[in-house]
Amino acid sequence: MSQELGNLLSKKLDGESINGEIINLEPLTGGASKEIWKFEVKFKDKSEKYILRRGSGIEGPLAIKTSDEAQIQKTVRKLGALVPEIISVSSLSEPLGDSYIMKFVEGETIARKILRDAEYKNALQNLAFECGESIAKIHQADIAEFSFLPKKTVKEQLSDLYETYTLFNQPSPVFEYTYLWLKKQNFGEIDDALVHGDFRLGNIIVSQDGLQSIIDWELAHVGNPLQDLGWICGNSWRFGNTDKVVGGFGDLEDLLDGYNSVSEYQVDAKTVKAWQVFGTFRWGVICLIQASAHLNGTINSVEKAAIGRRVSETEIDIVDLLFLGGR
Amino acid sequence: MIFDKPDSVELLDAVNHFLNEKIKDEVPPHLAFKLRIVENVLNIVGREIALGEKLSQEVIKDLRELIESDTANVKDLALLIKEEKLDLQNEDLKNLLVKLSKNKITIDNPNYSTFKKLVD
Repeated sequence: MSQELGNLLSKKLDGESINGEIINLEPLTGGASKEIWKFEVKFKDKSEKYILRRGSGIEGPLAIKTSDEAQIQKTVRKLGALVPEIISVSSLSEPLGDSYIMKFVEGETIARKILRDAEYKNALQNLAFECGESIAKIHQADIAEFSFLPKKTVKEQLSDLYETYTLFNQPSPVFEYTYLWLKKQNFGEIDDALVHGDFRLGNIIVSQDGLQSIIDWELAHVGNPLQDLGWICGNSWRFGNTDKVVGGFGDLEDLLDGYNSVSEYQVDAKTVKAWQVFGTFRWGVICLIQASAHLNGTINSVEKAAIGRRVSETEIDIVDLLFLGGR
Repeated sequence: MIFDKPDSVELLDAVNHFLNEKIKDEVPPHLAFKLRIVENVLNIVGREIALGEKLSQEVIKDLRELIESDTANVKDLALLIKEEKLDLQNEDLKNLLVKLSKNKITIDNPNYSTFKKLVD
């Protein structure tokens, strides 16, 4: 497998005038639907590290093409956003498939390491502010550049999520209640910005010096950008550090200070709470989608099967937020 | 049950022990992550066999009291909420949704942070 992949990479990089020997090709633990490989290209006197990100061809209904992710990264990088540099892009019909190659960024993505290892302790102090600042910069992007992205208002997204949930024929009293609650909330009136869609630990690279890169753009779309703020505050993405509302590492005030220091649109905590419930419901529906890929026989995967039993995590989070004073 | 010992929970314990003691240190890093998922799945199955019936019945009992029905189940409750046939501000309804969620997570992931926070 990796010998063949090495040859394909070598050919592709030759086309980009990167001529060297591919070494240390290894799979990394990635998202549930993408392959991620790390490798080095050895030149005469040095070597450079790269990442190959490759779609499996059976993306969930919410995911965009891998090659489109590359296009977004290229565009927002020009705005000074923190994303890795794209080296080469392949379409589905090419030998590498729907994929791209980017420069490797030094740092850590594994949430538990970032939250628990002593070496990141200082970086965590300012990380919520940095996250607010960086995502606000991304939200400023001109959406004229992203005509290939799905465009969804909150209302459309909400009814899409609800319809998707009903497809699985597993009625949840908590989700029914949540849907009615969400329909009455104020989410802020912007609906024409670039939204990352999965902005949280796991999809950012952090070093001892703080935030380095925002990666994994497969759920990107055009819509209300405040979704990204509610998402990173969901308890699902605090990795056990429930007290720290932002990603398990920071306080909401710091995230908003960072955000509002860049964004013209000033965001308050109440709006973020509505988005937090929205995000938790959304994660619940994504769990259903993932599990259904196993249940309907598309793919036999213990990971996808297990995720079906994580829907209940989102239900307990929602009742905590709505009825029990949860933050 | 007509089956011999070990029973299903004991069999699962044995498999878990094997994975933890003999396999865990042998697998490469990218599979270690999947092995943890496999262990979690086995633990869900074990808890469901041991406690699933009791935790379900607790919820069903409260649910039938609330909506005054002898046969209603979780699907019926979902439908009543969807059609707004229940008062959404009713405290008994809110308490029932909390209980339903707590009982489900007791099986699926009793170490989940929100659940631990709520039972402490």
